[in-house]
Amino acid sequence: MSAAIGMEVLKTKGRKIWLVVAVMMAVQLLWAGWAISNKDANDLVQGWMFFLYQFPMLNCIIMPVIAAVVASRLSDVEHKGQTFKLLETIIPAQRIFAAKFIWGSIYMLGAALGQLAIMIGMGFVLHFGGPVPWGALASYLFFTLVVSLTIYIFQQGVSMFVANQMVPMTLGLIGGFIGLFSMFFPQGLQKLILWSYYGVLMQVGMNWDQTTRATDFYWTAIDWSGLGLILVFFVLIYGIGRILFVRKEV
Amino acid sequence: MSNIIETEGLSKQYGNVYRVKDVDLSVPEGAIYGFLGPNGAGKSTTLKMILGLAKPTEGEITVFGKRVNSKNRLENLKNVGSLIESPSYYGHLTGEENLRIFQTLRGVSKQNIAEVLKIVRLENQQNKKVSQYSLGMKQRLGLASALLGYPKLLILDEPTNGLDPAGISEMRELIQSLPQKFGMTVVVSSHLLSEIDQLATRVGIIREGELVYQDSLTKLHQYSKQHLAVRTMNNEVTKSFLSRNGVAWEAEDDYLIIPQMKDTMIAEISKALGQNNIGLVRIEERKKSLEDIFLELTGTAVSL
Repeated sequence: MSAAIGMEVLKTKGRKIWLVVAVMMAVQLLWAGWAISNKDANDLVQGWMFFLYQFPMLNCIIMPVIAAVVASRLSDVEHKGQTFKLLETIIPAQRIFAAKFIWGSIYMLGAALGQLAIMIGMGFVLHFGGPVPWGALASYLFFTLVVSLTIYIFQQGVSMFVANQMVPMTLGLIGGFIGLFSMFFPQGLQKLILWSYYGVLMQVGMNWDQTTRATDFYWTAIDWSGLGLILVFFVLIYGIGRILFVRKEV
Repeated sequence: MSNIIETEGLSKQYGNVYRVKDVDLSVPEGAIYGFLGPNGAGKSTTLKMILGLAKPTEGEITVFGKRVNSKNRLENLKNVGSLIESPSYYGHLTGEENLRIFQTLRGVSKQNIAEVLKIVRLENQQNKKVSQYSLGMKQRLGLASALLGYPKLLILDEPTNGLDPAGISEMRELIQSLPQKFGMTVVVSSHLLSEIDQLATRVGIIREGELVYQDSLTKLHQYSKQHLAVRTMNNEVTKSFLSRNGVAWEAEDDYLIIPQMKDTMIAEISKALGQNNIGLVRIEERKKSLEDIFLELTGTAVSL
């Protein structure tokens, strides 16, 4: 397996995939900077909660785009060069699938760590109130990863199965937008949509007073059933994607 | 001589159509087996099934004496190199990097990369991105990938497709040298009769998914031997005359086809026919070309 992963790394040489992740992180950094720029000292008391509320919302669109691009970039080289028919005479198809997933996960981990660094960095620079909520930040990293990897494995399954990469890219973008708007959907419906889980697993809620136009953030309980469901989705999508890829005749 | 590949009743059905039907292939060790057939006859599908890239609907495949199943497939393929339809490559990487990927995954020595690059004469182009390679160079890189593990069996599907005459000749020379140099058995498919004629020692001809001929190329050439076509005023009486004198004949339209023979024999037959009041009106020398035989077997126009 290590050889297969190592070769995935070599295949991405010159493909500038990290650049895509970096650009998306820059967008997230700019957005965070802009969102926090109009906050006064009173608002910054709830700075950590503000970020833990805003970042998952933005992730609904940012992370699916990263997942779609990474999965597509890792798979299109195989379709273009018709390499699956050679690779599958050397190593098992399930190992190709697993190696791509592991290497793709590194990019998703990089993106999740990147946004965590943005949050912590800005929190320290702008002196957010109260102690650093390390536990909530760690949970945020974990939830972001679980949801992102589930979306990624969906994207990888489609990207490896379909040669035309416009299909997974379009699906990724549509999914992202549905995820963003799913915040307004009933909870039952939200939990049926992969891309809405950034919102489902949010640890912070918001009250908005219409008269004073003031926002107040509060900690919410973790939605364990939501976490359980997304893990089930992950296992199912991984299994189905792998079976489809293994059975596909090349 | 033992067979490296044997298939038994190998079939592949897509929907209601059999793309490959009851193919019993036998590839002897050390042979260059030419798998010949028109485009769409089922050559690639058959080869893909041997490599486990397509699942047979029916039939068995035996490679190196072992019946292939999903469990031992990759173990068996360790001694098989393949180039199916078109070369597999990563265009954004150099030739050397491409080979490094397949060498690492195959778990063979790194030294093999330099050796196979030399065999396919790409050593001076190894640091160039493959996307900048010509089609011929890509084909040679594909062959190099297939050769990396010095396999006992090499399966090449239309390796000269799209190459110019010089490229075709170069590829042919390369393939021809492999059994002698490395003791490889080579299966090479093509829709070009002339190519297989120059390359193969044994040939299998496939038509609409069915294997219509399989034997040595020498035997196929025997079919193209010269024969005589005779027309007389009374072919019926001539038939019994020929049979009585031990001359094999075959009726074809108004002619009787008899084997080629010495002039003295022909003169004697002619004289004897005259003595029996059978007027000899035509005697022609005919030769079935290899193309005619191919056409008869495949029912399609031959590509030259």
